[in-house]
Amino acid sequence: MADVPALGWGGVAASALLVLLVVAVTYQQRLHLTRELAIASVRAAIQLIAVGALLVVLFARTGLPGALAWVVVMILIAGQVAGRRGGGLPRARWAATAGVAAGSAVTLGALVALGVISTQARVIVPIGGMIVSGAMQAAGVTLHRLGEDVRQARPVIEARLCLGLSAREAFLPHQRSVLRVALMPAIDSTKVVGLISLPGAMTGLILAGVDPLTAIRYQIVVMYMLLAAAALAALATARLAERTLFDDAHRLINLSASP
Amino acid sequence: MTFALDDVTVRRGSAQVLDEVSARIPTGSCTGVIGSSGAGKTTLLRLLNRLEEPDKGRILLDGVPLPELDVLALRRRVGLVPQRPVLLADHVADELRIGRHDLPESRVDELLTTVGLPTSFAARPTSELSGGEAQRVCIARALAVEPEVLLLDEPTSALDEVSAVLIADLARAHATGGGTVVLVSHNLDLVRDVADEVLLLEHGRLVTPGQAR
Repeated sequence: MADVPALGWGGVAASALLVLLVVAVTYQQRLHLTRELAIASVRAAIQLIAVGALLVVLFARTGLPGALAWVVVMILIAGQVAGRRGGGLPRARWAATAGVAAGSAVTLGALVALGVISTQARVIVPIGGMIVSGAMQAAGVTLHRLGEDVRQARPVIEARLCLGLSAREAFLPHQRSVLRVALMPAIDSTKVVGLISLPGAMTGLILAGVDPLTAIRYQIVVMYMLLAAAALAALATARLAERTLFDDAHRLINLSASP
Repeated sequence: MTFALDDVTVRRGSAQVLDEVSARIPTGSCTGVIGSSGAGKTTLLRLLNRLEEPDKGRILLDGVPLPELDVLALRRRVGLVPQRPVLLADHVADELRIGRHDLPESRVDELLTTVGLPTSFAARPTSELSGGEAQRVCIARALAVEPEVLLLDEPTSALDEVSAVLIADLARAHATGGGTVVLVSHNLDLVRDVADEVLLLEHGRLVTPGQAR
């Protein structure tokens, strides 16, 4: 990677001109987004610089335990974010966190166990981040759809319960449709990868001077692991949320109104 | 199967949906439940198959408190047909098999005849059913599980007079066959024709239990 194009802080500062351009356009168009745009841009820079500094320490000093601790922190944050999508569902954040954790742990564990990726901190952290992010999106969509479905489908679910079906059986058709919806984005982006978009990991590697064929191998692994993470997280989140939706007497609990 | 309600109270927020209701629903009989809208009639039915739980008081089935019975077995013994028909399958025959997957074709035909529908309906898509037909399919679906107790919530609300008589006959036949029927209805003629006993609910209170026939 001798010919990696160097991007200095001067280049970053120059790219901020683009933000100024957008700010000028939104101000001129009176979109009332100027303040939000400015805050978002500054916040992104500060967040990334802070994370970069942390990663420098992490990679240099802590090794695998530090990397795994970092992944755990990401899972906790992702659980909070995805859990907010399940407004009104009981213990939604718990279900999301556990679902993201299950999807991420199995996927990351499998990649390590199969020898696909190494256990270096500089590998575990970015790969873990992508996995947790994919799991978070799937868990969020799952909870959001579950909440909507359960509110609308109460008479249908209760009609099944009235026939002596268990909570699990009564809820299964809804769980299936929720999971189908939750997995669509991951499946669709897998379908069109390379055709419509050059995805992040591949773009990053190519920009950093890696041979495109090597970048593609990484990207294939990334796509497969994102599929697995999304599917496992959605499934685990749906199963956990289902348990909180019914009581011991196989009764659908009353949900608070949708926020 | 005899139900005994013992000071049953259900609250929803600050509202008293049922207020210390005590009653006996004996086996081999049809009990009519009447009262204005919001009097607690539907809640009463939902308590009997444990779709709801009383806040106070208790309900006994043949002397055993309901929470001590296996709830899934209870719901198969106590079939509730909700007021608004909700269809769950694509075709009528599959609809009747939701609660009993192994229901033979001959039994599907029998059940359709029982609720006054031609046997050709077995193959019909449920999306093509009228409100009254859907209501009758829902009753047949409940009967497929062979419940000992039949809880009917406004079973004739979408039916013409001829079909309503048929459902009345069905309810009576279930009771005289040793089963128990609880019938919630605004149709006082129907209740008078069918019920051995009538429970009148007013604002969640049982007003005048008494003989109807």
